[in-house]
Amino acid sequence: MAHRVKIVATEAIPVLFALVMLLVVWEVATSFANIPQYILPAPSAIAEATVSSLPRLAGGLWLTTYEAMAGFAIGSLLGLSIACLFLLAPPARMLLLPLVIALNTVPSIAFVPLALLWFGMGAASKIAIAALSVSFAVLLSALEGFSRTEDGHINLLRSFGAGRFAVLWRLQLPSALPSIATGLRIGLARSTIAVIVAEMLGAYNGIGQIVYRATAEMDSQTVWSAILVSSLTSLTLYGLLVMVDRRLIWWR
Amino acid sequence: MRPRLLLGHPAAGIVLALLAWLVLVPLLNVPPRYLPPLGRVVADAASVSLELWNSFLRTLIETALGFVAGVTLGVAFGIVFTWSRFLERSILPLFVALQSVPVIAFGAIVVIWFGNSILAKVAIALYLTFFPVAVATLRGLQMVDEKRVDLFLSFGASKAQIFWRLALPIAMPSIFTGLKLGVSLSLVGAIVGEWFGDSVGLGVMLLQALYFEQVERVWVLIVICGLLGALLYGLLALIERKYVWWRIV
Repeated sequence: MAHRVKIVATEAIPVLFALVMLLVVWEVATSFANIPQYILPAPSAIAEATVSSLPRLAGGLWLTTYEAMAGFAIGSLLGLSIACLFLLAPPARMLLLPLVIALNTVPSIAFVPLALLWFGMGAASKIAIAALSVSFAVLLSALEGFSRTEDGHINLLRSFGAGRFAVLWRLQLPSALPSIATGLRIGLARSTIAVIVAEMLGAYNGIGQIVYRATAEMDSQTVWSAILVSSLTSLTLYGLLVMVDRRLIWWR
Repeated sequence: MRPRLLLGHPAAGIVLALLAWLVLVPLLNVPPRYLPPLGRVVADAASVSLELWNSFLRTLIETALGFVAGVTLGVAFGIVFTWSRFLERSILPLFVALQSVPVIAFGAIVVIWFGNSILAKVAIALYLTFFPVAVATLRGLQMVDEKRVDLFLSFGASKAQIFWRLALPIAMPSIFTGLKLGVSLSLVGAIVGEWFGDSVGLGVMLLQALYFEQVERVWVLIVICGLLGALLYGLLALIERKYVWWRIV
């Protein structure tokens, strides 16, 4: 308990302090300097607009979160399976890794038009683009994690008669998990952003589409509200992932 | 041994993929909507080569400016965070939170702030770049251990000397990791910034290709964006290998 209190004192208080300072300065500055709403609304105005437009935003937020989570799940599985394939079949790694690296130099947003042309305006194209950007992050960090396993440990396990899969499952995967967790975190942040970008270029609903329409109608309050709710959602998801990560991966 | 060696070459996979594109697409009758034949993509690139070159330069300049500004700010924050534990504890978590803000959605507001100028693209690129650089600088500077500082102090080194001769060299490899992460984000920022209204740039061409459903053009742009990303990354890797060859263990 005392330990908890100490963590709250050293970690939470400075952040809250900075956050409150930021909001106060922002609020005061916008009202005193008479900054027009369309340039920078006051935090209180954003909060008010968010509460009143919540029912309208909820549908889009739900869709965006669903697309991001589906893309995250597919992308993580894809990245991890390719990493395992590379580990079990070195020739595949030799041949495909340069291709992966070449594809990775392309900013993933450049694939958005392609995803829209291939998969249409619905959810599929957003899930695809999120999966793409997540899989690269997970694949590269998993490969880095696998490379950290010591050869001595592998030899030890093999000398006890462990097969290739047993080594992978019992040694290489656990020792790569911290690195994979980092990849998952990066991927999670990327997946929401990728979905929103894709939605801005073409979608029926979703946060990105709401922002796009609000921009066209010069409705800056809705833009701010949409940004606020989507940021809070992705922060919550990020926090959940960090918590799961701390519980599950206790070795490091 | 020969064919094995050939297949082991890093370019082998890429050459094979291009060959597969060249041979399999006409062979399997892949609809052009999904993957147009390689020849048509090349021909399309040639037909707009001048516009492509101008856009390439424009996006390159925006990326470079945003990157330099973002790196300056990022390194400065990294140093400030190392210097003050309180500022690190209070501001760094806010930066982490800001990273989950879809800056792309801010594009429209950034354009309202800075007008439809190059500044808007630079601002978005800066925002995306500074965070990884700040974190990398902080991590790097934290690797400086007390014993080495004490040694420097016992020889009468000043604070500035300790920074330039000890802390910065130790942090450099980590900073370069941040720079390499940041440069691809700068490119993303520049491309997305162009979506909110401009007439030249790879992002503009990408948007036009989408609206007119020109699949060949989309592929041309994917390749060009990749080349630009690889060029910037390669440049940084080259500088790193030449000037920051040491590793801190």
